[in-house]
Amino acid sequence: MGALVDYIQFVLVPQVFNGLTIGVAVILIALGLTIIFGLLDVFNMAHGEFYALGAYLGVTLAGRGVSFWLLLLLVPLLLVPVGILVDRALIQRVFHRKERHMLTMLLTFGLAGVMEDVFKAIYGANIIKPATPLTGGIDFLGNYFPTYRVFLLAVGALTIAGVWLVVNKTSFGAMVRAAAFDRQMAASLGVPVRRVYSATFAFGVALAALAGVLLAPLYSVFPTMGKDFILLAFTAVIVGGFGSVRGVVLGGLLLTQIQSLASLYVSPVWGDPIVFGIMVLVLFVRPQGIFGGKLGHA
Amino acid sequence: MLESTPLVQSTPLVQPAKLGRVAAYEWSHRSAQVFIAAALVFTGVAVFVGDTFFLRLATEALIYAGLAMSVDLLLGVTGMLSLGQALFFGLGSYASTLVLKHVTPSFWVAMAVALAVGTVAGAIGAVLSIRARGVYFALITFGMAQVVSKVVYNTRSIGGSDGIIGIPVIKVNLLLFEVDTASPAGFFLLVLALVMLLYFGLAYLLRTPAGRVLVAVRTNEARVPFLGYQIRNARFLAFVVAADLAAFAGALYPMLRGFVSPELMYFNVSGDAVVTVVIGGLGTLIGPIYGSVVITALKSIIGTYTDHYPIVIGALFMLAVIAFPNGLMGAVDTLRARRKGGSP
Amino acid sequence: MKTRLSTVSLALAGVLSAASAIAAEPIKIGVVTPLTQTYAPIGQQVRWGLELATKEVNAAGGILGRKVELIFEDEEANPAVATQKAEKLFQVTKVDFLTGTVNSGSTLAVGQVAERNDRLIATTVSFSDAITGDKCSPNVFRVNARAGQQSAALAEWLNKEKPGASVFFLGPDYEMGRNTVAAFKAAVESRGMKTVGEIFAPLGNKDYSPFFGQMRAARPTVLYTSVAGNDTARFFTQLEEYGLRKNLLIVGASGTVTSQNMGALGAVAEGYVTGVGYSPEIDLPANKKFVTSFQAMAGAAPDLYGADSYGLIYFYKAAVEKAKSTDTAKVRTAMRGLKWMTPQGEKEMRAGDHQAIQDMYAVRVEGGKFRIVSKVAGTLAVGPDSCTRF
Repeated sequence: MGALVDYIQFVLVPQVFNGLTIGVAVILIALGLTIIFGLLDVFNMAHGEFYALGAYLGVTLAGRGVSFWLLLLLVPLLLVPVGILVDRALIQRVFHRKERHMLTMLLTFGLAGVMEDVFKAIYGANIIKPATPLTGGIDFLGNYFPTYRVFLLAVGALTIAGVWLVVNKTSFGAMVRAAAFDRQMAASLGVPVRRVYSATFAFGVALAALAGVLLAPLYSVFPTMGKDFILLAFTAVIVGGFGSVRGVVLGGLLLTQIQSLASLYVSPVWGDPIVFGIMVLVLFVRPQGIFGGKLGHA
Repeated sequence: MLESTPLVQSTPLVQPAKLGRVAAYEWSHRSAQVFIAAALVFTGVAVFVGDTFFLRLATEALIYAGLAMSVDLLLGVTGMLSLGQALFFGLGSYASTLVLKHVTPSFWVAMAVALAVGTVAGAIGAVLSIRARGVYFALITFGMAQVVSKVVYNTRSIGGSDGIIGIPVIKVNLLLFEVDTASPAGFFLLVLALVMLLYFGLAYLLRTPAGRVLVAVRTNEARVPFLGYQIRNARFLAFVVAADLAAFAGALYPMLRGFVSPELMYFNVSGDAVVTVVIGGLGTLIGPIYGSVVITALKSIIGTYTDHYPIVIGALFMLAVIAFPNGLMGAVDTLRARRKGGSP
Repeated sequence: MKTRLSTVSLALAGVLSAASAIAAEPIKIGVVTPLTQTYAPIGQQVRWGLELATKEVNAAGGILGRKVELIFEDEEANPAVATQKAEKLFQVTKVDFLTGTVNSGSTLAVGQVAERNDRLIATTVSFSDAITGDKCSPNVFRVNARAGQQSAALAEWLNKEKPGASVFFLGPDYEMGRNTVAAFKAAVESRGMKTVGEIFAPLGNKDYSPFFGQMRAARPTVLYTSVAGNDTARFFTQLEEYGLRKNLLIVGASGTVTSQNMGALGAVAEGYVTGVGYSPEIDLPANKKFVTSFQAMAGAAPDLYGADSYGLIYFYKAAVEKAKSTDTAKVRTAMRGLKWMTPQGEKEMRAGDHQAIQDMYAVRVEGGKFRIVSKVAGTLAVGPDSCTRF
């Protein structure tokens, strides 16, 4: 009995905590992905690179003396015009063709390759490791919880709640949902559909950038970092159902907990195959995801 | 049916219908003939000046063209974007390597085993993926390649991360004569013949009833739901044939380079194949062959001036998606149409 | 210092081989090395080392009165690209010799291209034991220390420092990672230390914290790791975050902390110990001169890759001068058993497996620099010759 309590306290609890922090990281990246897809039907293959762009911008500005706390606000704001530009200059050019699914996917795939190489050209291939803004940790129930990870959990929860409020409780969110539900009808009701599209794309991209700033102290910054979380984020979106905020949160948590707990019992190398297996299984059984549906319907 | 479609894409820019349906199809074949003629001239010149490097580089371009053609069959003809086609290319190359190195140094046995592996892997891949559409299909293919390449990377008995070297030079028995894989011109001509055979074979396949359904899947899917069952079969067939094509091309790789490594299955290779198809001309089957030659040449030319050629190729790719959705073939096609006094 | 040196040697060159050096065809050395992608920083060191040595050799009259010319090609750390570029250099540029490959897969594949083109290559970076072991080739030489030499040096030091230590192993899960862990495990266990746990994390692992529970429970006194590059930064940061670096001696492979990632790692790399064949600190006049010239030319300190690449040019020079020819068979014979001088002191090319024998060092990160903490004689560290092909 004592052994069991010990096991729960010293093995399972820290494992669940670590899984949670990774889960929040995945959700922060996947949120933007799912919102953009839910509204625009655009699968943003360059999403990971926007996450990297946020991290690089953070590193650059921090180097000029901008404080980390200000960066959390500043970097996502700086990415809004970038997002609008990408939407106008690239996405909208192929948006009205019949196969926009495929074309936007190809386009953002090309963009991802270019962005990755631009990072290399500007910052070099070497890794950059920003300082952790909060050091130390909290001893609780005989376990050690690093302060920055606790902070990350809190900010992650706040961000998720914020995004949910924006999508479900604001007039912008209402327009987004209306446009996602029926573009023509929304337009005839006076919703500025094109602007809503651009704003949504920018919103999603800004979320990725926020994740970049937040995660850089834990995971470091380098040109190919965009590919890092992308399989997990894709899968979280698929499991949760495209366009569903609640789905992506539950999907992200579920996947990372499975991975984290599985690493106690099987070789960690099986982490990716497990995630992939879940993705295939979900697509097989319920192609629209567990909470699938149009944006705002879940 | 075919005449109306392999060249017709979603594009507003290029409408082969303007050339007349049959004309578009014949034009594609004529491009193939031009390509063969150019390749023969190239071989002659290369042999005359005693070159080996460029012949072998061109052989490699043709091998990657085979992979690109398999992506085109999925994306251009049936509308399924595969982001993991290098998986089958890599499986083919490993299968051929293991046969040549450990079983028998026979070209035909190696190719047969590679095709068998391609068929089995393709069938498994198809079962896992063809139910999904669009983005979902792309993600599943991406994931499959990701997982299998990691397994290969970690499996010591097939060389792990170091790959396998020491694949012997072989003689290809063509009944009347033999081709040595170490002979640059001989092997180039053999690969050229094989790739062009694949092209004409595929073009023929698309004219058969099964092939027509494939094309219909892409163009009219929404309008032919009553074909539901047939569509499923057609997709399955397309996926397996594409896997075979990729495995076939992959099987040639170790004969040229004498080694294989897990990098052959990586996302870069799958991604490059997609880029090749889009730049060459989606849905034309001949476009990927031209595209592969263009990309190989571009890399080798830009590569001497800058280390950042991915930016150039990526930008070209995006430009192609936006402005020339039918790629090189489409652009040439439009020019021809214009000169003939047709619009636009 | 550098300019004075080169003026002196330039004058010398003029006296020695005035007409012949200009008239003769240059000796071409091809360099297939990663100039882009992940390994670009290593390729940069290789390039600097080779260029510095070539400049010196040319200023002193070249090799057999012929100038040396380097021709670079980017291999993207991808064997498929490396073989293509190697063929270009052998067949179009017609180089006499080739070097530069970084990852072991590329070295093995390019070695085979060399065999088929009847030329010689040398690696100055790859440290997989297989290259001069079970996959050895008569056309491939290695002038740098292999993994076995590195772990021998480290185990020797560890045994003196912490006899009977409990060691926990964390390696990247691929062939090279498993090899280094297995080699070091054998080395420490044969010296009476014990293994208390072993984990293999996937390559490119994002978060190591899920493994910390197991690690804590095993209560090790020493942690051995062979993760590399970007993974090191994450792993060390997360160890620090979880307060695990206290009371734990961290040792590992030479590729784990390098001059490329040390700057980024900062304080979390302090105290890390590894076994290597080079440190800028080596107290030899030849090394001091090398470090000064390197610093002046590159604006950065040399690391083991730069130093071994620099030494390679002198290896080739010595062999060609001994053979009095650049002919493959003659140079190969000359290279076997050759002794030559490098910044690290004298190295010897073992005839039986084409592996260089050299003194090895255990080095510790202190104040962002590698400090030498012990030295192991080359013959003790090199290990047996396991090559059976020639």
